Amino acid sequence: MQGGAASGRFDRETLLLWAPLIVLLVLVAFFTAVEPRFFSTRNFGRIAIASAPALMVAVGVTFIVIMGSIDLSMEGTVSVCAVLFAQAFIAWGATLASTAWLALPLALLVGAVIGLVNGLVHVKLRIPSFMSSLAMGFVGTGLALILTGGDRIRVEDELFRGALTERWFGYPIMVYVAVLFLLIGWFVQSHTTLGRNFYAVGGGEELAHASGLNVERVRLLGFTLAGIFYAVGALLAVARIGIAETATGGNYMFLSITAVVVGGTALWGGIGGVWNTLVGVLIVHVIGNGMVVIGLPGYLQDGALGLLVIVAVVLSTNRRQVAFVK
Amino acid sequence: MSFIKKHIEEAVTSRRDFLLASAYGLGGVAAAGLLGPRLARAAIEDPAVAWSYRNRTNPYWNEIVSGGEAFAQSLGKDKDFLTHLINEGSSEKSLSDVKGLLAKTGGKLALAIDTNDAPNARPVVEAVSAAGAYVSTIWNKTDDLHPWDFGDNYVSHMTWSDEGPAEQTARILLDAMGKQGGVVHLGGIASNNPAIERLQGLKNALADYPDCELLDAQPADWDTQKANQVMSSFLTRYGDEIAGVHCANDTIAYGVLEALRAEGITDMPLVSYDGNPQAVDLVNKGEILATVFTNPHWGGGITASLAYHAAIGTFKPSEEPNEHREFYGPAILVTPDDAAEFKTKYIENVPEYDWMDFWGPTNGQIQYD
Repeated sequence: MQGGAASGRFDRETLLLWAPLIVLLVLVAFFTAVEPRFFSTRNFGRIAIASAPALMVAVGVTFIVIMGSIDLSMEGTVSVCAVLFAQAFIAWGATLASTAWLALPLALLVGAVIGLVNGLVHVKLRIPSFMSSLAMGFVGTGLALILTGGDRIRVEDELFRGALTERWFGYPIMVYVAVLFLLIGWFVQSHTTLGRNFYAVGGGEELAHASGLNVERVRLLGFTLAGIFYAVGALLAVARIGIAETATGGNYMFLSITAVVVGGTALWGGIGGVWNTLVGVLIVHVIGNGMVVIGLPGYLQDGALGLLVIVAVVLSTNRRQVAFVK
Repeated sequence: MSFIKKHIEEAVTSRRDFLLASAYGLGGVAAAGLLGPRLARAAIEDPAVAWSYRNRTNPYWNEIVSGGEAFAQSLGKDKDFLTHLINEGSSEKSLSDVKGLLAKTGGKLALAIDTNDAPNARPVVEAVSAAGAYVSTIWNKTDDLHPWDFGDNYVSHMTWSDEGPAEQTARILLDAMGKQGGVVHLGGIASNNPAIERLQGLKNALADYPDCELLDAQPADWDTQKANQVMSSFLTRYGDEIAGVHCANDTIAYGVLEALRAEGITDMPLVSYDGNPQAVDLVNKGEILATVFTNPHWGGGITASLAYHAAIGTFKPSEEPNEHREFYGPAILVTPDDAAEFKTKYIENVPEYDWMDFWGPTNGQIQYD
């Protein structure tokens, strides 16, 4: 038995498990101490609105990271889903009350297809996931640019934008949508065979293969599932801004990978899950919001964000378990 | 034994000869290289035309490039005749793309470029000059770099003095706020010239409004989603103290409007810059109080045209006065009063421009403080 188990609940293992959450609470306390207005329902609502699309994208990529691979295609996928959704929405009636609601499942389907193609390129052509997904990301951005011709598409339907403007208990509907999909992600991760297979592949791929698991199929399903979550992220991003354009996917790559790592999911696979990702996304967005709220000058913010991310990762990584860092 | 000795001597001698011969050869090549650039350069007959810019996802740059394409079509060529060099906001990529294209075209190039930041202008101009190609720049350039120091090859530099128009929009904003209250500014990428100038314009205007205060200025990187987040954070920090918002461009304003909408705030005074079609519609509706149109379509076409016509010898840049080498571009203020008319004139019908009228719409020579 590993050392420390007998010494009570605050042993090192437990602390590491809860480290990301502790980091989040410390950050919230810090920002509140400097600027009390940080700690208010309104501000938490704003953080939640900003986090919702990023959370979806991060949950999607969590499945891939658990498998030990990585997916960098989210920027292109989100842009394409957003643009196709907006174009279909406007072409089919431009309001949720008409047949345009079909554009919502269409976006999810597009995300799944792109994810599947992404997975096929990685699995069948045997290209490392880093390169294949990065390349597919660029393809996606290019496709979005071709579809829009550089223009932006405005989605102004009151019903659809109600996801942002209608609030229940102080939080907009889109936050509840994000929570719903988070719970779906948790269910897939913990209560389905597929989810368990993700962990098997990530924890020891050769072992899983030798045990009779069809690793290729699990990989493909993982990328497809990630694509669906990216599509949900795209829908929330469009709901938040009311515009679908090629730049809709911008910055999600950095945000989601950082959130996944900061939350405690290991990049080498097998460890972590969607709750870690939730904490990671909240940490990143709390830092982003908090820095402006306390009045940190703009030119210091990038540096501060980098430092805080390093601190968060250092605190949440179990360095004893890692023989060497890749 | 003597055979081996003779063989070794011959081998050593021939190696020495080889070394001497290569030294002469390299020296000859270097000498020829020294003489090369001093040969007179004739005008390029059929230069390639290229536009180097950040990327097309920003509507402003989309307009610039569409102007470049319109110019290419006016020459009777295809839209695809224009080569696009997209730097995605990286100065290093911008420079290496230019060098690559210079090598590919053998210096037969007319280049229009925004060098992404001021320090990058000199390396680009020097690379183009050394290759005997022609370049026209817009927006970013250091104050000590001048077209007239580079003979004909650095044709022109156009920028927009954003301080003046930004000050005008700021005054409209501060007046709409009832001349009192707090203003927040959301800026562009902090190192970009236009971002610096538009903030300065706001500060200049504030000097005349003692009851108004600049609460905060944060960069929003010309991006709608970032502007949305920054504005949300401002609302947390300053809440009701914010009486007006000064945005560095239209795409930032869209993000700000959505952040306000999420809080249920309508009719917050707001001004922006760029004159995008969507922004002009919002000005018409009164949601944005003013924006400034810099006619990027004309700017994109005329920059390419200047480089091209200098390359083929239509005019000789070194014989033009300084105000034709460094000048301000046009800036039209759009307010709710004239938005409808502006829309009809510039947006619904893209005017046909005379691409040989290089300096007509310009606004005078660039002044340095």
